[in-house]
Amino acid sequence: MTGPALRVSGLGLRFGSVVAFEDVNFSVEPGELFAVIGPNGAGKTSLFNVLSRVYTPSAGSVRLGDRDLLALKARQLAAAGVGRTFQNLALYGDMTVLDNVLIGRHHLMRSGFMAGGLWFGRARREERVHREAAREALAFVGAESCADARPKALPYGTRKKIELARALAMEPGLLMLDEPVAGMSEAERAEITELVQRVHRERGLTMLLVEHDMGMVMQVAQRVLVLDFGRQIACDVPAVVQRDPEVIRAYLGEELQAA
Amino acid sequence: MSAALVQRVRSPRALGWTAGWVVAILLPSVLSEGQESTATFVVIGAIGAVGLGVLTGYAGQISLGHAFFLGVGAYTGAVLGANHHWNAIFWIPAAGLVAALCGLIIAPTALRLRGLYLAIVTIGVLFIGQDIFLNSSSWTGGPEGREFPIVHFSSSLDFAYGNTLNIGGYTIDHNGLYYYLGLIILAISLLFVWNLSRTRMGRAMQAVRERELAASVMGIDLARTKIAAFVVSSFFAGICGALYGSFLSFAQPGDWDLTLSIQYLAAIIIGGMGTVMGPVLGAFVVFGLADVIKTLSFVSQNGSGGISPNDFSSMVYGVLIIGFLVVEPRGLMGLGARFTSRPRRRGGGATLDPRREGRQFAPD
Amino acid sequence: MTKFWQLAFEGFSLGCVYALIALGFTVIYRSSAVINFAQGSMLLIAAYLISWLTVNEGVPFFVSMLISIAMLAAAAVGFQAAVLRRVRRMLEQPIFTVVMITIGLSITLTAAVDAIWGPQQRLLGDPWGSSAVHAAGVVFNWDKLWAIIFVAVIVAGFYAFDRYSRYGLATRATAADEEAALAVGIPVMRIHALAWGVAGSLAVVAGLFLAGFPNSPNPALGNSALLAFPAIILGGLESPLGAVVGGIVIGLVQLLTQGYEPGWLGNNFYEVAPYVVMIIVLLIRPYGLFGARPVERL
Repeated sequence: MTGPALRVSGLGLRFGSVVAFEDVNFSVEPGELFAVIGPNGAGKTSLFNVLSRVYTPSAGSVRLGDRDLLALKARQLAAAGVGRTFQNLALYGDMTVLDNVLIGRHHLMRSGFMAGGLWFGRARREERVHREAAREALAFVGAESCADARPKALPYGTRKKIELARALAMEPGLLMLDEPVAGMSEAERAEITELVQRVHRERGLTMLLVEHDMGMVMQVAQRVLVLDFGRQIACDVPAVVQRDPEVIRAYLGEELQAA
Repeated sequence: MSAALVQRVRSPRALGWTAGWVVAILLPSVLSEGQESTATFVVIGAIGAVGLGVLTGYAGQISLGHAFFLGVGAYTGAVLGANHHWNAIFWIPAAGLVAALCGLIIAPTALRLRGLYLAIVTIGVLFIGQDIFLNSSSWTGGPEGREFPIVHFSSSLDFAYGNTLNIGGYTIDHNGLYYYLGLIILAISLLFVWNLSRTRMGRAMQAVRERELAASVMGIDLARTKIAAFVVSSFFAGICGALYGSFLSFAQPGDWDLTLSIQYLAAIIIGGMGTVMGPVLGAFVVFGLADVIKTLSFVSQNGSGGISPNDFSSMVYGVLIIGFLVVEPRGLMGLGARFTSRPRRRGGGATLDPRREGRQFAPD
Repeated sequence: MTKFWQLAFEGFSLGCVYALIALGFTVIYRSSAVINFAQGSMLLIAAYLISWLTVNEGVPFFVSMLISIAMLAAAAVGFQAAVLRRVRRMLEQPIFTVVMITIGLSITLTAAVDAIWGPQQRLLGDPWGSSAVHAAGVVFNWDKLWAIIFVAVIVAGFYAFDRYSRYGLATRATAADEEAALAVGIPVMRIHALAWGVAGSLAVVAGLFLAGFPNSPNPALGNSALLAFPAIILGGLESPLGAVVGGIVIGLVQLLTQGYEPGWLGNNFYEVAPYVVMIIVLLIRPYGLFGARPVERL
């Protein structure tokens, strides 16, 4: 692919008179691991939701490769190669883990309700092939033994891994991770961080990460965008961003308030 | 693989299933005529319940218009079977297809809305449908109602009163014929739903039920999935309606009402939503109960003292719906799972769950 | 022409009653995103209760009304607190489940009313009876006038409450995210109690007037109340103004269709005309005339 995998220009979102974020500009190169960070309320998740076509922005444009992302509907994202995880974990409690991951394969399969209900040819073949693929995704994240369990019965860290497996099973070109280490213990955080790095290294995917935890981001990201109160205050490699005075003020200021 | 297959076949669940089917097949020979009639209503009703189970149980779309599709199926069967003397082998599936077609036409409008709005629109469909039935006298007989055709496949396989079928010395009478026909069709519909639940669209429906927006972002076409559920549900409703009308042999447009829709809703709630067998258990309770209630002493017979059977049944259904949803939202299947759950060594402590019945792959 | 104005007046009044019922739905929906299918049956109970108190027990009419309001509001609040809250919070069931519980409640209550009081019509015992004002050839029945007056007062009260009290915003916050609302110190239990209590009271007043069309409680009232559904669909579930406009439109549609019924639409078309209108509107505007596409959190 020539040119950036994702190019965001002048993107802004407002709810009535409340500005979620405005004038955000950045681009992500193919195969790059790009992170968006900022204190809570900075607008990161809103940005993510715009990119997932859940919200429609009030200004700006987004190009996914050579396509206009904003022209796509939410359900067309998967076919366009975009996969994401969810901050609040959108795992389906009533289905097994394997079935949850198989939901990620939905757009890669074709059998409709007739083929499925009558269980002929195409449905059978697809089930076999795609269950295999789903198991591979689970194996990659180290959760293949949970295939028959229900998500409810599993620990939080494992569920996060399963979410990631599902996103991987979608065979995305652009993988978006929404706060992958939120609410985690030290050990779980290390595990997920290592997993994210492994995904990047072994699969060579373009990855867009939204996160609050600066430590994790500085460890894995190649470039970082910092948001504060909906404004873009820095966009550079981690080493530079870490020393940026405005960034320090945004985070330290928050710590001072909390103290 | 074959060792696992043998293990599955010998498992308690498979034995339970086989036993259940054997009982179902032998049942008519041990029941009195009245009980046999009730059993037939249960089996026929189960077909419709399985259909609603796909729409509301799996796909999570509350529909109060099921009675309309039952009526469409019934009247299609009546017009083709009685007015045009078709063979039942044609008018029964035709009833399903016409009802499915109605579902296909209505679905896109209804499903543009969020789930709760859909429930209201389906009430509208029901009332408008009743109005259409009332005014289409040539098809429905108008407010006075009409007779429905007896199932007739051939001169030797005719379900008219007084006819019997002899299979190797075993005699099947009118009620029994309908019972077995219903059972065969029920078995086919259960197989269909079981397959559906383990494949792409079945999973999509469940995803849509739990969290629609996330499902969409993962590539599921919400409209298409919901419409598919609607069409499947309407198809089974149509077949159920055709058999129901034929077995009752007479019905009026006013019979396809909100109470009937709610009976089916009660059946899937009581039986267990999102399961294959749930609707069957629920149908057993709801349609079996209707007959039991008639025999209770404080229920009035023909308008004499006591509470009317309709009122009492409605109250029982209402209380059962509330009771199950508050205590065990997964219905009877859920209660069954509670009693048979055992801790598993692998799989992170998952408990046995009836919705896992018949998963194709063997456990790791 | 007087026929038109007569029908228009009666339709407007009936519409106001539907508006009251629709408001009952809206109030609950705005605080918890639940559609309370039992609203119609609460109305039914209210009408019978008032009738029984006034006619059988000789209680003065307005006192009956107040007693009914108190009892129904208490019952509604109790049901919400004891059953729905438990299901939603402790069992973590989705709204779908709660809505179906209200459907279950609705059938139970409707059947209970029929079982207790039987299918015959009763007298309501209201003081205005069939007294009316005559003007310009149109008969303005007092019961219908009172319906309009009551609704006007109640809607004004709503507007003021929403605008000038903290509860309006608190209600919407609770519906949007109950956990967050709790965290911010919003008295969530009180909000729900308020919503259901108000809904119960509205059901009583609506029942009072609906029974006046044609002036007697009867079991079919429950079904009449179902006509409020097209009203809330038209108006959108969230907007009190929408509920009122929706209600009035439906009332007018129903009575004008009844009066001017073209034969080719069959008998009793006026009973389903509101639903037809509802579906036509939805084809054009899927979220009703006033509704907006709900914003869902991911």
